[in-house]
Amino acid sequence: MSKPKVAFFDFTSCEGCQLSILNLETELLELLDIVDIVEFREAMSEKSDTFDIAVIEGSYSRDSDLGRLKEIRETAGVVVALGACAHIGGLNALRNSQQREDLLKKVYPDHPDWYETNEKALPISAAIKVDAVVPGCPVDVKEFVHVVKNLVLGKDPGLPTYPVCVECKLNENICVYELGKTCLGPVVRAGCNAVCTSNGGVCIGCRGLIPNPNLNSQKDIMQKYGLDIQRIIDSVNLFMTENAREVQ
Amino acid sequence: MMTAVLEKQATKDNIILGMKKAMSEYDIAALTKKEGKVLFDYIDDVNKIELEYTPTVLSPKKFFFPQEEVILEYTMEGKVQAKINYRKMVLFGVRPCDITGIQILDEAFAESNGDPNYLTKRENSVIIGIDCNSVCDENAFCYKVNSQYPDGGFDIMLHDLGNSYAMTIATDKGETFAEQYFDSGKVDSEAMEEFLRVKEHAFVKAGGPFEELENLPEIFAENEHHPIWESEAERCLSCGSCIMVCPTCYCFDVIDELALSMKIGDRLRRWDACMLRSFAEVAGGENFREEVKNRVKHRINRKFNFLMKKHGKSVCVGCGRCVRSCLADISPVTIVEALTKTSKQMRLAEKNNELYLPVKAFIRKIVQFTEKEKFFELELENGKSLNHQPGQFILLSIFGIGEAAISISSPPSFGNRFDIVVRAVGDVTNKLHTLEEGDFVFIRGPFGHGFDESIQRKMEGKHILFIAGGIGYVPLRSLINFTLKQKEDYGRISILYGCKSPEDRMYKDELDYISTIGGNVTLLETVDTADKSWLKNTGVITSLIPMVKFHPENTLAVVCGPPVMYKFVIKTLNDQGLSNENIYVSLERRMKCGVGKCGHCQLDDIYVCQEGPVFRFSDIEDKEEAL
Repeated sequence: MSKPKVAFFDFTSCEGCQLSILNLETELLELLDIVDIVEFREAMSEKSDTFDIAVIEGSYSRDSDLGRLKEIRETAGVVVALGACAHIGGLNALRNSQQREDLLKKVYPDHPDWYETNEKALPISAAIKVDAVVPGCPVDVKEFVHVVKNLVLGKDPGLPTYPVCVECKLNENICVYELGKTCLGPVVRAGCNAVCTSNGGVCIGCRGLIPNPNLNSQKDIMQKYGLDIQRIIDSVNLFMTENAREVQ
Repeated sequence: MMTAVLEKQATKDNIILGMKKAMSEYDIAALTKKEGKVLFDYIDDVNKIELEYTPTVLSPKKFFFPQEEVILEYTMEGKVQAKINYRKMVLFGVRPCDITGIQILDEAFAESNGDPNYLTKRENSVIIGIDCNSVCDENAFCYKVNSQYPDGGFDIMLHDLGNSYAMTIATDKGETFAEQYFDSGKVDSEAMEEFLRVKEHAFVKAGGPFEELENLPEIFAENEHHPIWESEAERCLSCGSCIMVCPTCYCFDVIDELALSMKIGDRLRRWDACMLRSFAEVAGGENFREEVKNRVKHRINRKFNFLMKKHGKSVCVGCGRCVRSCLADISPVTIVEALTKTSKQMRLAEKNNELYLPVKAFIRKIVQFTEKEKFFELELENGKSLNHQPGQFILLSIFGIGEAAISISSPPSFGNRFDIVVRAVGDVTNKLHTLEEGDFVFIRGPFGHGFDESIQRKMEGKHILFIAGGIGYVPLRSLINFTLKQKEDYGRISILYGCKSPEDRMYKDELDYISTIGGNVTLLETVDTADKSWLKNTGVITSLIPMVKFHPENTLAVVCGPPVMYKFVIKTLNDQGLSNENIYVSLERRMKCGVGKCGHCQLDDIYVCQEGPVFRFSDIEDKEEAL
């Protein structure tokens, strides 16, 4: 059986997730035992018209993206959304709560009309069917390997449906709320091994919400720990713009 | 296993020295400091042992049941072998609550199918506890479940007598270890007695055990529908923290991890949590514990009911970890105390000698509704309010004839008057129909579980779909009037009412009035047969349902009517996308006592007169006798 062909594509993003994958080094070589990488702009000049697994980084933010996304979808057997931008719109979606025309004038005061952009930056699932996701900003490369491995195996790689708290407790961390900080961990999807909270940070939600998050209770807790409503909205807005309204 | 208990004593220095010597033969895990936190971990230097206790995030169960462990190794060619990782170890400085936890896990993993991975680790471990003589912090409640006095789960227990430790040696393993490593002498029994006295005083002062600790399984079973489940679930984040930190939770997930070579792999087990939404979800997508309320209930019931019955003691050891880790402030203590209080009240009511004693009520008004049905307004002679919920019922007595269960049709009120509508169909009701205004009857109640506050809260903002057939309008009328009074609290109110003929309609004037309210209130009526003067619909009640536009996810249906009606109505609602969680029914049953004793109303294990007559249909849909 020939190895599945993998191609990488990027849309609106910083391309940091692909860079993280390049940093894999030894595991990347092992990965090449089970797949062929046929297109990867950051690493090689070759391109390919055929591929089995398309790995897409970046959000869908321009009209002209749609055709390219559909083309990739038609060619690929499996589409993987790589990173927060492709998965949930990412930081690009921060602008979704503002007017496009105002923003263009603010960012490009001299030539706002030079730039093509949609009203909203959206996850690629708004344009095409997505079969698997590697969430995060940036992605956890171990999770990327896990997803590719399972796709090659023919197994649904799935995603944890539980929140970051689970992994935080498994790591025996003292809750950041006890340390006087606030955190979105109780409503944000795990799978990152609580990397931020385990290293002195807080969860800012780059992996998106769990299914059925109790945002009401999350809001009450953040208020109890001293955040006013605007700061709660801001913290949810960072990666989950569409949900920020729900905590108002 | 407890063998003969030996008491000895050794200086603290001697104990630490003994642990140092033991390092040549054992790995030592103890309470220690690491990166600014106190936790149980393996140590390489006995000077790193913390003798003073600070509550840890995880309990020491992780040494025997780790967060993740390999249970099988396999190759894709089909070779497979069981894998058990263990170390010969001493777990030093475990506190009584966690020792009780280990004792419970020992039983749980040993029963029926003995778990080799856990048991091998335990067989190769020596457990040395350090006794507490005070409560470690405000969240700990060991004294409420008596886990501060473990009767097993350790080999040696150290009691702090100042410069030395008295030792309780409980096992042969402990005796051998102490002989080999501790230079011990006779115990100072006076100092030991003083230690125990201080300990007892501290825990009694903290509050002592739960009031009805022994009866908790029974109390939990009695309170399956207690409102606290709903109110705690509302705040619960389902984050799973409470389970992760629990010393007696032992559920796990099993996961295959294939190496990147795709040739060899491991099968792992990893802690899982019944508080997580996916825990009871099967491959087809069906979830057997989808509601947060049911997950909260399951978790707490495992500690104080299901497993408590099995282990003969509380499976919650009161270590306080779940309380410390819960951002939403959900505590087993609050739940246990609320349920205990309710059960006590229930028992008090049962002990009440007046349980079967009815009170006098005068008939103030009678209206002939139909040929067979009459309306009665009753007034309690004692001047008190009936204080009922919509959907509850009373038992009405006429001496010499007997008692009959009758729905209350007026909405809740503070006054001492209330309404009933009665069909003359049996001895009591036939007699009642012969009475006149000013005559008296006797009543008991109100009884049963009606549309209580938790259901009322659920209704807020929703589209409420009332579906009544014939005299079934009467039990719903209390709730209908209750909602109409504050109709702006609901998305829409649609009332669907079907009768045999126009002459059989209840509360005709009221129905005419409701049809003029307008706004978000709609009344649709149908009759089986009518002459030309009937201008509304004809046909069965189900034919009205498609005439109402509703969004299934934002709609609650409330159904009451003759037995034959339910199946058809519920099927039609289901076909329109409404799930059984969003359907409430009021059931009719034969009732003699009204207080959950006589057995006539029983639906499997449910007394309809106590837990009903109002049910969320999803709670009873599986019961063959329900409809």
